[in-house]
Amino acid sequence: MKKILAHILPPQSWRVPVIIISGICVGLFLFIAYIANAFSYLSDKPETCINCHIMVPQYATWMHSSHREHATCNDCHVPHDNIFRTYFFKAKDGLRHSSIFTIRGEPQVIQIKEEGHAVVHENCIRCHTELVTDAKLTAVHEDFFTQKTERTCWECHREIPHGTVKSLSSTPYARAPLLESPVPSWLKQTMENEKNSMNTSTKNKKQENHQTP
Amino acid sequence: MKPISEQIKEKPWKGWVLFITTICIVFVLGLFAASIVERRTEAIFAYAPQNNFSQFEPRNEKWGENFPHQYEAYMKTADTSFMSKYNSARATDVLQNAPGHVILWAGYAFSWDYNQPRGHYYAIHDIHKTLRTGAPNDSIDSPQSSTCWTCKSPDVPRLMQEMGIAEFYSSNWKDFGNEVVNHIGCADCHDAQTMNLKITRPALIEAFERQGRDITKASHQEMRTLVCAQCHVEYYFDKKKIEGANYLTFPLGVASNADAIAEYYDAIDFYDWIHPLSKTPMLKAQHPDYEMYLTGVHAARGVSCADCHMPYRSEGGIKFTDHHIQSPLNNVANSCQVCHREETEQLISDVYERQTKIKENSNLLEQLLVQTHLEAEFAWKLGATEQQMKEILQFIRHAQWRWDYSVAGHGNSFHAPVETGRLISSGINLVQEARVHLARVIAQLGYTEKVALPDVSTKEKAQAYIGLDMSAKKSAKQEFLQTVVPEWLKQAQEREATY
Repeated sequence: MKKILAHILPPQSWRVPVIIISGICVGLFLFIAYIANAFSYLSDKPETCINCHIMVPQYATWMHSSHREHATCNDCHVPHDNIFRTYFFKAKDGLRHSSIFTIRGEPQVIQIKEEGHAVVHENCIRCHTELVTDAKLTAVHEDFFTQKTERTCWECHREIPHGTVKSLSSTPYARAPLLESPVPSWLKQTMENEKNSMNTSTKNKKQENHQTP
Repeated sequence: MKPISEQIKEKPWKGWVLFITTICIVFVLGLFAASIVERRTEAIFAYAPQNNFSQFEPRNEKWGENFPHQYEAYMKTADTSFMSKYNSARATDVLQNAPGHVILWAGYAFSWDYNQPRGHYYAIHDIHKTLRTGAPNDSIDSPQSSTCWTCKSPDVPRLMQEMGIAEFYSSNWKDFGNEVVNHIGCADCHDAQTMNLKITRPALIEAFERQGRDITKASHQEMRTLVCAQCHVEYYFDKKKIEGANYLTFPLGVASNADAIAEYYDAIDFYDWIHPLSKTPMLKAQHPDYEMYLTGVHAARGVSCADCHMPYRSEGGIKFTDHHIQSPLNNVANSCQVCHREETEQLISDVYERQTKIKENSNLLEQLLVQTHLEAEFAWKLGATEQQMKEILQFIRHAQWRWDYSVAGHGNSFHAPVETGRLISSGINLVQEARVHLARVIAQLGYTEKVALPDVSTKEKAQAYIGLDMSAKKSAKQEFLQTVVPEWLKQAQEREATY
């Protein structure tokens, strides 16, 4: 470890400029993380999924569904059987989405991939276990459980939760939250105050000019 | 290995490599940060008007500066590459493919030249080019009136506002050649202040008024159809309303289906032209797209024209109406599949199935009509009297009206397959009635053989049979396109430079 450090570390006389330059690099990284709302992706907030606005129809339809009260995007679209799989899946999906968005490769019609499909089905069963493991019904129908789990829930429950019409056209007038300005409010306030005080001072000057002649 | 600093002392180029690599990394990071900032804000600053213009600004590019997404998409109506089974986005020669049309429209300008319509982008270009507008110059008038410009350009509302509506309808087509130069565009459907949809053509407003309805009360969803209905409707020129004006009037509202419109025309004793072969006072159906769509199931479910022909589109954070107005078959995922869960091929074949079945009978009706016109001509030659022919001509008039009404709206067989099927079958019945009566008249005149019909199996043969000199028309048109049109465009450019 020490060897590696000794290998990279600059001589004493270079320390200061090197610290400043690496500070710039790290700062730039932090700025990118901040401006891209990178930390929000660690959360479960549904608003995170419309950071880029692409999924507004999906957000809006969920927002008006009964699932809004109990399940967020992540509850259904990310696996929850173990924490490693959860974060691995989330990171993989998220990085794919963000790279596609960056290269402007997003499709006009968004469709779920096979892997996501399986995850959603897992999650239906995770919350609604009692619906597929009814003891009474299992007694009557031998293959009750397999029938309920081999077919996807939305073969029948087609509108849940994103509605019958699934496309950009489904929610033409949806109001979805926009990203907040990255400029912190205290800074805005300060700039606003500065501007006002400058304006009043120029106004005062003008008034003075008026008075003199 | 020595520390990097010592290595650099020995080989200074290593220092330079480190320096340049750092520059590159920071530069790329900066670009990335800039891209993120830009894309964060694109939704917020999606509509940042660059310039102010009035409602009567006819130049689409001026509006386009404020609405680049919509404008760019709209300009894609210039793309003619799309072709479906029966229709296309290009100027396919209909007369070539269906020479029977030449006989049906004999004596009317449509028998000279009739192509499938191209996108809105070509509105002005194609009206210049079609033989139907003739080859006017200083001494020769166009066979068409100034009313024919009405649906072609945002210059029209401007002119109507400058000179008055009736005055606009009262000239020859050539008189506004240097005024109407911008193809259909923004100002035809939008309000300049709010960008809300707006009705700019008086004929639709008047049609609503006649029904006692107020078009300004229409909902946004209705407007997504009504702006199209300003032009995609059946119309006629009312010559009695105002002296000297070819006043553009829609039967819409007073009579809204094909049978009722025909009765309406009977009642006001209206005809478009007298057929030179059968001497029938004919009716020409324009494109009754709106009326026919209203009878279909999509209209009944509240689907608007724009829902399928201009679905939403997204570009990053911005969502907007795709102004590339086109066949939904070229964009099934965003039009049909919004509601229908079937595969693309299945949906397209469903459309083709309707079109094919309708076409089967409309072709039959067309062929019977051609035969009837020629047989009627034969009867006149044998010396039939007007008294004998009167009823027959009425049958022909109504049969051809139903045929024309079904085929003139290019989307009819999909928009309203049941109504189109009904019209064609009633047309077949009417034309057969005409032929039964004709057979009797011809027999009464002493001729009992099968009537020998001339060979009109190609466009050229048919046009020659009805006595058209096509080469003269074509060369006059070339002359017109090379001399008159450039002059019109030059004058328009000078006028617009003063705006």
